[in-house]
Amino acid sequence: MLGCTILNHQQHIGLQKLSALAGVTHSSLGPDKHYKFIQDDFSGESALACSCFRILQNLELTCAVGQLVYETIRAHHKLYHTGSGCLLFLAGAWGRVALECLQRGITVGNIILSMSEGMDLCLDVCRRSSVSIKALGAIQSESYGLGLHPSKKPKAQKIKTLKLSRHFCEVESENVSTELQPHQSKHPDIAHIAEGLSHGCAGAMNLVVKASRIQSKNNQDISCSTFDITKVVTCLLPGTPEDSACVLPGCIFLLCAEQASLAHQLQGQHLRVALINGDLSDTYRHLGFKTPKGITCVSEKSDLSSSSKEEEWLEKVVTLLLNLDVQLILVSGLVSENVALRCCRHRILVVEKVKDSALQAFANAAGAVPVTYATQLSKHCVGTGVNIVIWRELSSHDRKPTTAVNICTAGNSELVTVVLTSCVHGKLQSLEDQFWACAYRLHHVLKDNVILPGGGVTEMLCVHHLHKHAEHDVRCPTGEKQNSDQQATPNLYRGVVLHLMADGLIDYISTVMVNTGRFSKVRARTAVSQHLRNYTENFSISAKFSQLFLEGEDVSAVSSAMKSSEGTSPMIYDSLSVKREAWRKALDLVFLVLQTDAEVITGIDQKTDGAPQNPEFAGFTFL
Amino acid sequence: MSRLVKKSPSVCTDMPLDNTDICEKLSLFGQLVRSCLGPRGRLKQVHNDIGGSVVTTSASSVLLSVVSSSQPFINLIKTSILNHVSRFSDCGLFAAILCLSLIEQDKRAGLRGRVAIGVNKHLLGLCTAYLQREDCGCKVRLDFSSSQNLIRLACSSISSKPACVLTAAEALHISRLCVQAFLLTVPCDSPGIVRLGKIVTMSVEGLSVLTSAVFPGLLVDMRDVLEVEAPHPNPLRVVVFSASLAGDLSEIGDGRIEVRPGVDMDSQVLDRLLELSEQVLRDEVKLFVCQRVIHPVVQQYLRRRGVIVIERLGVTLMEPLTQLTGAQPVATLHSPVPVTAYGRVSNVSIRQFGSRKMLHLHPPEESAICTMILCHRNETMLSELKVVCQKTEHVLRLTLRDPSALLGGGCTETHLAAYVRHKVRINLTETIPALGCSQAEYLLGVEGFCRSLESVATALEHDGGSSLIDLTHAHHWTLPPDVMKEDVEDSLGFCGCGLVASSPSKQWVCLNTKNPHISPAALSGGATVQPRVLDSFTAKLNALQVAVETANLALDVRYVIQDMN
Repeated sequence: MLGCTILNHQQHIGLQKLSALAGVTHSSLGPDKHYKFIQDDFSGESALACSCFRILQNLELTCAVGQLVYETIRAHHKLYHTGSGCLLFLAGAWGRVALECLQRGITVGNIILSMSEGMDLCLDVCRRSSVSIKALGAIQSESYGLGLHPSKKPKAQKIKTLKLSRHFCEVESENVSTELQPHQSKHPDIAHIAEGLSHGCAGAMNLVVKASRIQSKNNQDISCSTFDITKVVTCLLPGTPEDSACVLPGCIFLLCAEQASLAHQLQGQHLRVALINGDLSDTYRHLGFKTPKGITCVSEKSDLSSSSKEEEWLEKVVTLLLNLDVQLILVSGLVSENVALRCCRHRILVVEKVKDSALQAFANAAGAVPVTYATQLSKHCVGTGVNIVIWRELSSHDRKPTTAVNICTAGNSELVTVVLTSCVHGKLQSLEDQFWACAYRLHHVLKDNVILPGGGVTEMLCVHHLHKHAEHDVRCPTGEKQNSDQQATPNLYRGVVLHLMADGLIDYISTVMVNTGRFSKVRARTAVSQHLRNYTENFSISAKFSQLFLEGEDVSAVSSAMKSSEGTSPMIYDSLSVKREAWRKALDLVFLVLQTDAEVITGIDQKTDGAPQNPEFAGFTFL
Repeated sequence: MSRLVKKSPSVCTDMPLDNTDICEKLSLFGQLVRSCLGPRGRLKQVHNDIGGSVVTTSASSVLLSVVSSSQPFINLIKTSILNHVSRFSDCGLFAAILCLSLIEQDKRAGLRGRVAIGVNKHLLGLCTAYLQREDCGCKVRLDFSSSQNLIRLACSSISSKPACVLTAAEALHISRLCVQAFLLTVPCDSPGIVRLGKIVTMSVEGLSVLTSAVFPGLLVDMRDVLEVEAPHPNPLRVVVFSASLAGDLSEIGDGRIEVRPGVDMDSQVLDRLLELSEQVLRDEVKLFVCQRVIHPVVQQYLRRRGVIVIERLGVTLMEPLTQLTGAQPVATLHSPVPVTAYGRVSNVSIRQFGSRKMLHLHPPEESAICTMILCHRNETMLSELKVVCQKTEHVLRLTLRDPSALLGGGCTETHLAAYVRHKVRINLTETIPALGCSQAEYLLGVEGFCRSLESVATALEHDGGSSLIDLTHAHHWTLPPDVMKEDVEDSLGFCGCGLVASSPSKQWVCLNTKNPHISPAALSGGATVQPRVLDSFTAKLNALQVAVETANLALDVRYVIQDMN
C-alpha cells in the first residue's frame, strides 16, 4: 500500500520541517555549547547530549525529512567528526531562504540556479581567503583577530618576518621549541594552529596537541605537519576528576585483578606477543563459516563429554603458545573464561576487546601477524619487544577493572592513548566527542595544508561578496544576457536570492554570538550589520581588505569593528575542507527537500492498520 | 482441532472506470508521475512506515516498483509500465503519463470502449509508421563517427533526474564517462557474433562527482593491499572459486551427518583446502579469487607464498570476472582444479578512492569489461546517480539496435501530435468506414490522442510556465510564468530540444487551446544547429506502444473481481 501527500508549494512542509529541526540544535553552535537532556517519556531513560550529531542521534526522527537530515549528518560526522552543527544550521537557514523565495513567487528552478551561484561565490571566497600553513608559519600576522568570541584572552602575533610570536614562548614542551627554530618555515607551530582550532574546547585541544607531539617525536621521518588520527585511541575513565585527563604513548588497557597481578610480574620484560583477530575460544569460527546442523555423533563406546573437546583444544593451544614462548595475547574479540584462566596459570596475559586500529599498530610495531585462530600461530606470526607498564591502580571493586596498564612497543610505538576522565559518567561521551572534533579539525587542516580565518570572518566575507553581487544585479538587472542558449531568460531573482542567502549567514554569525552569552539577539545583529556597513561604506578599505586579505596579509582594518571592549582577541581558525563540505551538504539537503513535493510511504496495510482513519496518516491519500 | 474461518466473498467491480474510488486513485497516480517528469521534475521521498532509509527519487524504475495500490486496476497499469522499464530502462514516465492521459481523455469524451480502442490503435499505427520513416521530422540519425551526439543523448538522460543534484559541468563529465564506458564494452575486432561486454558500477560516497572515472578491466575492493606491492610476473595466472572455501560443510546443505567420535570434520575439510591450495601453487597461480569466504588459514598459507587472495567477491562480479580472465569458476573443492579452469590477467595495480583501496585487474588482451567508479557527496544523490547511469548505459546500447534518436524536451510529442492532426484531416474520408464509427466520434478520439501526447510535453513544466508550440515546425516551447507579453519572443530563446531558435517571423500558440491545423515542416537537412536534448528512439517507440496498448486494455476492462481472502 502507499500513502502520499502532495505538498502545497507556498507552504512547503518539508522546508518547514527542515527549519524546525535545525532550530533544535541552535544551542550546540559555536564555542560556548550548552548541554541538552533528552528524555524518553516511555522508558524514562535520558541522555546528555551536547553536539548536533548526538542530539539527532538521540531523537528518534521518523519523518522523511528527519531521516534525510540524520543520514546526512551521520555521513558527515563519520568523516569529519565536526561541523555537523554548522551544516544543520545552514540547512535550516537556507531552507527558510528557499521558503521565502517560494512565497515571493520565485520558481524552484530559479531558486536552485541562484542559490548554486551563491554557493559558488561563497566557496570561491573560502578558497581565496584560505592561508597556507607554511605561510602562516612565516607570517604570524597581527591580522585576522576578528573577535566574535570576546571571552578569549588577547594575544598578538607579529607579521611577515620569522619573528617569534608570544605563542612560541608559551610552549611548555621542550621538543617543540627545539624543532621550531631551524625549520620554522617548514613546520608551523601546531600549538598555535590548534589553539585557533579549539573553538572553545581548549581542554580537548590540549590533549590533541599533546598527542600530536608524541606522534611527531616518535616518528622523526614523518614531518610533524601531519596528524594521524588512526593511531590515536581513547580510553574513558569514569569517576576520576576531569583535570586528570592525559595523553600517553602506547595503549592503555583496563585489567581485572588476576590479570593485574600477572601484569605486575611481566612488567619490565620484553614480551613476545600474538595477535588474534576474532574471539579466543574453541567454539569461535571465522565470519562466513556456517556451523552445520544435523550432526550426530555415533559411537559404540560411551560418549566422551563435550568439555573434553574444549580441553583438547585448550591443551593444543596452550602447548603451542608455550612452544612459541608467547607471553602476551591481544585479542580483538572476546576471550572465553577458561582460556583466560589457563593462560593466566601459564603466565600468559590475555587482553580482550582490543580495537582494530590498535591491533594493526601492534602488528606493525612488533612485527607480528594477526591471525584468526590461535592454532594458526607460528614463529613468524609472533611479535617481539612489547612492554607492559603498570600505569595506575584504580580503586574499584565488584569484578570491575582494577588496574590500568600501558602496553607499548619499545622502539617506535605509533599508538597514542588519550585518557579522558570525568566524575559524571554521562559527560564522558561529550568529552570524547569534543576530543575527536578537535583531533579531526587539526587532522584536516594539516592534511589540507591551509586554514581559514575563523570566528565568523569567512562568513562575513561571504556575506560581503554576496551583497556586492546582489547589488550589482540590482543596478544593472538586465545587464548581461550571457550564454543565451543555455538560459533563455536572465535570472531576475538572483539579487534577491543572494541577499537572502547572505541573511542566512548573518543569522549563523549572530547565533554564534548569542550563544557566547555576551550578546542579545538584537545586539548581535546590530554588531554584525554595523560591521558590514563599515566596510561597505568605506569602499577603499573594503577593496583593500579583500585584496590584501586574500593574499594573506594584514586585515586589521576589518577586524577592529568586531573587537569587543576587551581589546584584541586570539586568532580563530577553521578547516577549509570541513567548512566547504558542511556548506555544500547543507545546500544539497535544501535542494533535495525543496524539489520534493510528495512523500511516499510504503508498507501501510489499509485493511489491518485502518490507515485512512489512523490520525498518524492524516493528510495522506491512499493509492 | 482446526478452526474454520469463514471465507469472505470476492468483490466484483462493474465498469471500473466509472468507479469514483478508482478514478480518484488514477488521477492521484497521474499526478504522482506527471510531477516527476523532466530535469525540473519534483522528487519523491520514498520510505516505509517503520523508519527505514529514505530514497529521494524521480525515476520511474524506483518509484513504480515501490508503489502499490489496493486497486488491482491500478496495479495492472503499473506492472505494464514496469515491464517496459525493465526492458528498455528509459521513458517509463512518458509511458505512464501518456497511458493515464489517454484513459482520462477517452473517458472524458465519453467514447464507447470499442471506438476509443479502435481509434487509438489506428493512430498508434500512424505514429509508429511516421517515426520509422527516413524523413521523420523529429528523428535524428546518430553518427557514430563522432561522440558528440552520443554524449548529448547521455547528457539528456542524466540531466533528466534532478535528484542527482549535478551542476552542468558535472552532468557533462558523467555523460562523457557513460559514453566512454559504453564504447569500452563494444569489442573492436572480434570475428563472428559480437558479444557486448559489461560495465561494472561501483559507488564511492563522499567524493566530488568530478572524481568519478572509468577504467578498462575490473576493480575489486581489497581490505589488505600490502601484499600487492611485491612485483608480479606478467601476465598472472588466476583461479576463481564459486564454491565456499570457508572450511564448513555448506556444500552438503541441511542433510544429516553421522560422525564417529574423534573425527574432526573441520580439520578434515581444512586439510582438503590446503591440498587444493598446494595444487594451485604448483600450477603457479598468482591471483586466488573466491566468490565467498576463504578460511583464514588458507588465506595465510597462500599469502605467505606470494599469492594475492581476494575473498567475498560477490555473485555480481563473478560473471564480469570470468569474462575478463577467461577462467572457469570452480564449484567444488573435492576434485583437483582442471588446468582449463585457470584464467589470466595482464597486471594488477592499486587504485585509491578516498579511503577505499581497490585492486585493479587489467585485462589480458582487449576486453569489453570496464569499471565505472561513481562518486558523489551523499548517499541519496549517489544512489540516484547510479540508477541514472545504468539507465544511460542501456539507452546507449539501444542505439546499436537502431542508430537514431528522437528530439527531446517535448518537441517529439508536440510534433507528433501536429502530424497526427494533419494526417487525419487529409485522410478523413478514407479512414472512417474502416473504423466503424461516426466522424464526430473519430475526431473526438483523435483530439484525445493528440492532447494526451501534448500533455506529456506540458508535464515537463512544473513552475507554472506555459507550454507553446510554433506554427512552422510544431516544436515545444516553454514560457516562464512571469514574462510580460511584449517580452515573449526574447524569453523563448530556443525550443525544448534546442534545434529551433526564436525569431520575429515565428508564431506560437498555447498548447491545450484549439489548435490551428498545421503541417509540421521538418528542418532543412544540412542544418548546422544540433539538437541539445535527445531521447532514446527505441525506448520511446516502445513506450508509445506500451502506453497505447495498456490504455486500450484498461478501457476494455468490464469487471474487476477481487479475491478478498
